[in-house]
Amino acid sequence: MKLENTMAQMRKGVLELCIISIIAEGEIYPSEIIKKLRSSELIVKEGTLYPLLTRLKNAGLLDYTWKESTQGPPRKYYQATSQGRSFLQGLMSTWEQLQHAVNQSTKNLTNNE
Amino acid sequence: MNKVLNINLGGYPFTIDDDGFEHLENYLDTIHSHFKKSDGYEEITSDIEARMAELFQEQLNGRSIVTIRIVETCIGIMGTPEEFGAEGLEEEDTFYEKTQAHSSGKQTNYQTGKKLFRDPDDSTVGGVCSGIAAYFGIEDPLWVRLLFVLGFFSGTIGLWAYIILWAIIPEAKSAGDRLAMKGETINVSNIGKIIEDEIDVFADKLDEIGSELGSKKKAPKKRRMVEEAPLRRGFLL
Repeated sequence: MKLENTMAQMRKGVLELCIISIIAEGEIYPSEIIKKLRSSELIVKEGTLYPLLTRLKNAGLLDYTWKESTQGPPRKYYQATSQGRSFLQGLMSTWEQLQHAVNQSTKNLTNNE
Repeated sequence: MNKVLNINLGGYPFTIDDDGFEHLENYLDTIHSHFKKSDGYEEITSDIEARMAELFQEQLNGRSIVTIRIVETCIGIMGTPEEFGAEGLEEEDTFYEKTQAHSSGKQTNYQTGKKLFRDPDDSTVGGVCSGIAAYFGIEDPLWVRLLFVLGFFSGTIGLWAYIILWAIIPEAKSAGDRLAMKGETINVSNIGKIIEDEIDVFADKLDEIGSELGSKKKAPKKRRMVEEAPLRRGFLL
């Protein structure tokens, strides 16, 4: 049982939630998503994001449009579809349940310390 | 001194050092072969290339040439396909297994097995003997050389054999060729290693040439030691 593996598993689950909710705030292009995720240290390697975005797009949760950029070639701007938004709501309610469960389970532990 | 190349990465033009280019090309090759069987292959790889271009621009910070250090830094930020796997989602793991079943786990190593090359780094005449030595895992090419020298004296067959081999065996030109010559599997991490080794060897050689111009023979001797160290260790284990 490795701590690193367990931590990676935990991160995996919330990464999708975070990405969809960042995109749901307003259309955004991947490098900006990375900037936001970098501060939270949720993504260690940037390459992880791209296959994930493509999969979420193919699942119909996200969509993108090409927009011209002043600094170089056109950029992809992602936005959440209505399906993506309801998916996000589902994830959020699960997350709240989990948070509650974790708080309940670890309450005694943190109180004792 | 280093040769430079002009490339178009993700729609941005770059001037890149020759060794940096080789490193980048190998990295992108592993990315491409990793995602080859995936649904959004083209999309994922072009997204990654576009992001690499952005990272280069950040790292360049006004300078004009992409060096191997910059390439390494950007690969460090981006991560290797092996590292994406660890961070991806459950679905990705099943997808990963599927692709492994398809390509029998070779998707990140695009070349395996040994190939016969002439070794230009350790050559007396044409690098034929050292190439053969590397191919058969003989520690010191001296033994192969002795065999050929004996061949020269016992008739002209040895000489002809050498000339023919010289003509038909290709020279190991790239870092990838050199790894294939020694039978190491090529992936992003060890190709980085061999390029680093080369830079060190080159620096050593420059020092030596600078300090004693007359004794040219010392430089190749030192080189051989550096390059064969991992091989020898492999034999002991």
